[in-house]
Amino acid sequence: MSESDEILLARALHGDEDAFTALYRRRQGAVYRFALHMTHSVAVAEDVTQEVFMALIERGRRFDPSRGTLLSFLYGIARNHVLRRIEKDWWTTPVEAVDDHPGADDLLDHLTRQETVERVRQAVVSLPPLYRAAVVLCDLEHATYEEAAAALECPVGTVRSRLNRGRAMLAQKLARSLVGTVYDG
Amino acid sequence: MTDDSVQNLLRTLAEADASAEAPPEIEVRLRKEFRSRRQRRRWRQAAVWAASAAAAIILVLIPSRKSTVAPINAVEVNAHVTTRQNNPAPLAGQTTTMPSPGRIAVRPRQQMEIATEFFPLMVPGPPFERGHLLRVELPASAMQMVGLPVHEEHLADLVQADVLLGEEGLPRAIRFVKFETK
Repeated sequence: MSESDEILLARALHGDEDAFTALYRRRQGAVYRFALHMTHSVAVAEDVTQEVFMALIERGRRFDPSRGTLLSFLYGIARNHVLRRIEKDWWTTPVEAVDDHPGADDLLDHLTRQETVERVRQAVVSLPPLYRAAVVLCDLEHATYEEAAAALECPVGTVRSRLNRGRAMLAQKLARSLVGTVYDG
Repeated sequence: MTDDSVQNLLRTLAEADASAEAPPEIEVRLRKEFRSRRQRRRWRQAAVWAASAAAAIILVLIPSRKSTVAPINAVEVNAHVTTRQNNPAPLAGQTTTMPSPGRIAVRPRQQMEIATEFFPLMVPGPPFERGHLLRVELPASAMQMVGLPVHEEHLADLVQADVLLGEEGLPRAIRFVKFETK
């Protein structure tokens, strides 16, 4: 039976490298994908993943299990790093907006699954960061409302409302870029 | 577009990225950093023990400096902070005068010595009968060793500490001291 995150963390904080490695391998994917969906940048996602686990090495003792799971704790650190990067980078690398006016009539022919995925990805990353974080955690990473609330440091009710608002905004954006295209076609 | 349609599209994106992971070189870098930090922590621990051992040797070599203290059970020392007031004695050749009425008396500044509780260094240790206190200077990282918070920037700063040595010369407990001007 595999050890819990909390036990692995405790062992890692006592200098057990194997425990740290096991914890990293178990959770790096979730942290990486969260950063990737939040920023749509592989480079930033890699940086954030590294920073999150560096922070765990340095400040892992601050983790309080009564306030949420270790994964929520990691998401919380990742969210802070991502928001800092978004604030810092948006001057120079504006997020690519979803195309409000889908172009040629033959677009339908090119709407492969990959393109659909890319459009959804673009729509997600164009959401305001607060709504984006709720959508990424709950709809893409399948975090529970409680986990998302712990990561976002807000009440569960706030997570629900941000999620609803985020989905509504996504529906509008995607309707213009996907469904609109189908109807046009 | 309905909420269900949005969630279906999001599910498609989640499935497409389900296997996305950080590249292996990040794990290599993190493990290297982990080992490096563990090594630094061990060095800090060794420095504290070396300082304690040095204090014990100094005590043996310079017996005139030692001050005998009443028996204390290092493990059961109270957890509250103690304070002691230092009133500097007049230096040789100096005279002290009482301020006469009508004159403004300048009160000498007093230094408060604030000490933490004693933190045991040997748990469990041999029975403690009598011991000696020795004032030493240690890097602030020694405070971290006993669980006291120290800012990363101040780890190398020197702080004063009282090491409680047993009769056999082993360091039994330590407390940290700071001075505040009253």
